[in-house]
Amino acid sequence: MDDKKTKAGDWRSYQRVLLPPVKDLHKLDVYEKHEGYKALREVLTTDKWNPTSVTNEVKKSGLKGRGGAGFPTGLKWSFMPPVDPNIPRFLCCNGDESEPGTFKDRQLMEYNPHLVFEGMLIASYAMSIKTGYLYIRGEFADWITLMEEELEKAYAKGYVGKNIMGSGYSCDIVIHKGAGAYICGEESSLMSSLEGQRAYPRVKPPFPAQKGIWGYPTTINNVETLACAPLIINKGGEWFSKIGAPSHPGPVLYGISGHVNRPGVFEYPTGMLITDLINEVAGGMRGGKKLKALIPGGSSTPILRADMIEGVTMDADSLREAGSMMGTSGMLIMDEDVDIVSWLRRITHFYHHESCGQCTPCREGTGWLENIVTRLDEGQGQLRDLDILLDLCTQMEGRTVCALADAAAWPVRYTIDRFRSEFEAKCSTETVPSGGVLETA
Amino acid sequence: MGDFIKHPFVDMPDRNPEQVIPNDQLVFTSEEKKQIQTWVSHYPTADGAVMRALWLAQEKFSFLPPEVIKLVAAEIGIPYANAYGVATFYTQYFKEKKGKHVLDVCTCFSCQLCGGYDMLHYIENKLGVHKGETTKDGLFTIQEAECLGACGSAPMLQITNGPFVHNLNKDKVDALLDALREGKVPAFTSVTLPQDEDEMGGNRRTDVSSVESYIVPPISETVS
Repeated sequence: MDDKKTKAGDWRSYQRVLLPPVKDLHKLDVYEKHEGYKALREVLTTDKWNPTSVTNEVKKSGLKGRGGAGFPTGLKWSFMPPVDPNIPRFLCCNGDESEPGTFKDRQLMEYNPHLVFEGMLIASYAMSIKTGYLYIRGEFADWITLMEEELEKAYAKGYVGKNIMGSGYSCDIVIHKGAGAYICGEESSLMSSLEGQRAYPRVKPPFPAQKGIWGYPTTINNVETLACAPLIINKGGEWFSKIGAPSHPGPVLYGISGHVNRPGVFEYPTGMLITDLINEVAGGMRGGKKLKALIPGGSSTPILRADMIEGVTMDADSLREAGSMMGTSGMLIMDEDVDIVSWLRRITHFYHHESCGQCTPCREGTGWLENIVTRLDEGQGQLRDLDILLDLCTQMEGRTVCALADAAAWPVRYTIDRFRSEFEAKCSTETVPSGGVLETA
Repeated sequence: MGDFIKHPFVDMPDRNPEQVIPNDQLVFTSEEKKQIQTWVSHYPTADGAVMRALWLAQEKFSFLPPEVIKLVAAEIGIPYANAYGVATFYTQYFKEKKGKHVLDVCTCFSCQLCGGYDMLHYIENKLGVHKGETTKDGLFTIQEAECLGACGSAPMLQITNGPFVHNLNKDKVDALLDALREGKVPAFTSVTLPQDEDEMGGNRRTDVSSVESYIVPPISETVS
């Protein structure tokens, strides 16, 4: 296909904006020289901007959340209730990033931390928020230290804190250190964690915009989503909406891992052909092996077989048609040697380990998924185990407070659906007589 | 394929164990108290500071027995049960004594496909302990970790909730264990973006001493 006709356009000459090629961009003085805090200054000190016009510009840009669900960001911001001076409001920047296969936010926070702070401040201004929490997972201890150092410099220069740039607007940023729980990436359990509780998810509604942390209106956005806000202010929502796929525009950090010659985090527009990403961006398959399958956006997005990706692009619509999801755009590429059953066993182990234990279908279901997939992997499974697994998935999906049960069930459901012959090949040949008791491993 | 735990239920710690840390050591210094109060001021209620305070306590006492959790709860003024609930929920808080260096080897799926289990078993064999156990000299604890967010540089491990070691291989593990035995903990390592290598000829940070790049996972070490 001609490059000009793909949704990503002429991606080979794409100029990076989230991580522009500037030495030491993480330092405040370098960031200032490269339009740093220019967007914030413009928003706070010129008459062109007020909270509504900032939100409208983000709506116009068509920015969708980069944390997995892909909800339109401008719309989310507009859900905040009208300002009441007696009721505090909060922003949470979700840097928990624990979806397996995702490692983009860590590099964004390391190489361009001030863009994240600036994005948080612009979002806070748009929603008249006075405090923003940046939740970073505890494993990123080194990155938390680095971010805190840079945040202190931003405070010293008056970009954060009281009366920013003499505009009369004040906003604080607090970095919150997690302690290792996948569930904290889910927005309502992130709120519980911030409040100093066990990170149990909460029932929605009420949504965070109505009843968030400590019961106050709260908006939660991913790190990469908020980092797009200064770019939208600087260059305009229309510029942003023309990057990549029209229905899901903007720059994206693709995290490509697994069996490729050039793994890593790459910034390109949305709507890249998956085949381009594997063969050109990531340098093709390792050792000249054949592609077997891939995960387009983190562990909970359904697996795609190699024969399902022809012409599929990395945006929400195209991936939905192909039978998967955009997720976090953390792609895992698997070559022909991968044993899909063993691989699925590791995923079920992950979800069993990370289930918070609040809802029975998830707490028990993830354990049974692991037990049964393990039995299959050990060669002791029966054909009917596959149907038991699919039935179990149905019992788990949509029956819990948060989406972890769905995220645990989907990989099992779609992997069995798309690689059934491999599961059948691993099943034990011994048959169970009718009415007999199935012995467990 | 690695030997999975068939029923990986986490044992709850003994609720009333004997006190390990004597009362005279069980105090925060005035700087630590000040630091905790700063954290408390960041949140509408004191509860929010419990995670940071537990981190501080863990760095000070190396793990969190009940008496330390009680101390933290008293310091920020929340019920002990709340602090205990938080401390037992998160995996990074150590509820029992660990080795001096805790090696969290990531084996989640990206690392699994790129040899994470090979690395885990190599370390187990080299140190003569299984995952979850501590060596007799009290130097190392090996743990199997869930995704640590460094999938592109798999396989990798984390040292005691601190620095990441990327792109593991046997030589690197040998060198790492020797360095840790001598008390040298590796510095923060920055991983270079592939696009930076093309456009900027290497890592964009001039202030880091230790730099890694994303490399192709070797085929020979791959288990599937």
